[in-house]
Amino acid sequence: MILKEKVNRPNLYLRIIIIAGLLIFPFFNDSRSMLILLTQIIIFAIFAMSYDILLGYTGIVSFGHCLFFGIGAYSTAIMLSTYDNTTEIFLLSIGVSSILAIVVSYFIGMLSLRLQSHFYAMLTLGFSELFFIVAEKWRSFTQGGDGFTFRVPDILRDRFTFYFFVLISLFIIFLILRLFTSSSTGKVLKAISQNEYRVEALGFHVLHYKIIASIVAGVIAAYSGLLYAVSLRFVDPSFFSIEVTLDALLMTMIGGVGTLIGPILGSGIVELFQHYLSELGTRFPIFERWTLFLGLLYIVVILVFPKGIIGTIKVGRQKIKKKRVETQLKQSIEN
Amino acid sequence: MNVVLNLIINGLSTGMLIFLLASGLTLIFGLMSVLNFAHGGLFVWGAFVAVWLFDFTKSFILSMIGSIIIGMLIGWLIERFLIRPVYGNHIRQLLVTLGGMLVLVELIRIIWGSNPIRSNLPGWLEGSFQIGGVILIKYRLFVIFFGLIGYLLLILLLKKTKIGTTIRAGVDNKEMVQALGINIKNIFSFVFLIGAGMAALGGMLLAPYSGIIFADMGMQYAILAFIVVIVGGLGSIQGAIVASIIVGLAGAFTAYYFPDFSLAVNMLLLIIVLLLRPKGLYGEG
Repeated sequence: MILKEKVNRPNLYLRIIIIAGLLIFPFFNDSRSMLILLTQIIIFAIFAMSYDILLGYTGIVSFGHCLFFGIGAYSTAIMLSTYDNTTEIFLLSIGVSSILAIVVSYFIGMLSLRLQSHFYAMLTLGFSELFFIVAEKWRSFTQGGDGFTFRVPDILRDRFTFYFFVLISLFIIFLILRLFTSSSTGKVLKAISQNEYRVEALGFHVLHYKIIASIVAGVIAAYSGLLYAVSLRFVDPSFFSIEVTLDALLMTMIGGVGTLIGPILGSGIVELFQHYLSELGTRFPIFERWTLFLGLLYIVVILVFPKGIIGTIKVGRQKIKKKRVETQLKQSIEN
Repeated sequence: MNVVLNLIINGLSTGMLIFLLASGLTLIFGLMSVLNFAHGGLFVWGAFVAVWLFDFTKSFILSMIGSIIIGMLIGWLIERFLIRPVYGNHIRQLLVTLGGMLVLVELIRIIWGSNPIRSNLPGWLEGSFQIGGVILIKYRLFVIFFGLIGYLLLILLLKKTKIGTTIRAGVDNKEMVQALGINIKNIFSFVFLIGAGMAALGGMLLAPYSGIIFADMGMQYAILAFIVVIVGGLGSIQGAIVASIIVGLAGAFTAYYFPDFSLAVNMLLLIIVLLLRPKGLYGEG
């Protein structure tokens, strides 16, 4: 018990410092671009957390998570531009995008989740490509490949307010997902990721749980896409591009799969990396293709640190803990 | 009549190109349950290397050989440095091959730039035949012919040679083959090389067919190949050729009559197969 507290205390302090830092950051920061970057980090943190529900907590690989991101973005953009840019319509669009995400994730899940994990990966990839084409070709509805700008509700116009709105969203979603992953359903999901057949043998309906996970992930991804569209005040088919999925994958893998903090950390690292590399790109042309560096980093992470930063730290801590217990045991035996 | 015949030829030739890509994919999957998402990268590398070599040497045969060699070389690198370290872990295999795809496509953009590149035909394949008022484009017939040769060679390899028998046995029951003292990993490396070479050949043949090549092409064709692999049944070569032809024809006809729906039709096909026969047309079990 004593050991446990010792380990956890710095963790708690760190969390308080980070939360306080995020809350007071805009008051000390004059740079508009920095605030926008931080908003973007938080939005992608939400997106990456939703991805981790699939990859880390359930062991499902999706290569089309951008599908939900785009659904959220387009539903709010289309509703705000066709009706009115009021708060009511905005709230309504959250509902609409959630319902669409539920329908689509349920449909894809029913088709493919009863089969091997590869099917879900392929099918989501195919569907995201399909949605990309629909967004490009259905000009009367989505305005085609050029995308379109739209007006956001007055309350969200201010970057400052929007930052807090996004930050509070992150906290709430973090808490919800934490409740979800530590609930009995969440525990079954974790068990599925470890050994699917054993869970099935224990009498759980694995398909049912996997679909629940994909729906939860889909709805939250749609919400993050919606926030991103509002922050840009613009949508185009690139919301459905594979790069968006890769971002989520990268953030989750780098930060640490199967932890909720990991994706948040990963989002910060990846976004800052992109930001500074593209700045470097203005001087050294090779850095303009930062996707190459992200891809190489991603491969190295999978091959060398499959648990990501948080996961590797956790393992390291457990080793230290084990050593401590061992030395204590040795001492007590010697005494 | 002219239109329908030409659409059939279009569909068959696209189907053959997809088959070259999908056959490697399905064998690799059948043998080791590795779904290689970098396969589209090999395809697009085959195309770019071939165009580059063709501009350089003006020889169609040389560019073909060169692109197959480069494709196999990249395939070997992928197998050795990406897939082998994570054998047995399906999730990490999926993830790492997608990373490989990303890097391959980015490298293409760095070497050849992001803009589409024009691809030319050698003189002896240009033009068309005219038989009784029906115009048949030479190169498309050539692609169909080549795809069929590829298919026959593959079947010959699988049915008539010792290594082919081992491959089929491995697809059927991997553990049993290992129990008989055969190192399945070496067999797998061999299959991976063959698959990589065929993917590069597919890309190489595609380049003059579509006239322009671009880096994102790999992913587009890879998605079609995945559809083929599922529709045909994972691990089945016969399934792959039948499904390739279906996908090619469906794509050609919708591209002509409803141009915006060509991918949608194939996704629909995939959905129907998954609903009615999730193991695919020729899948076992």
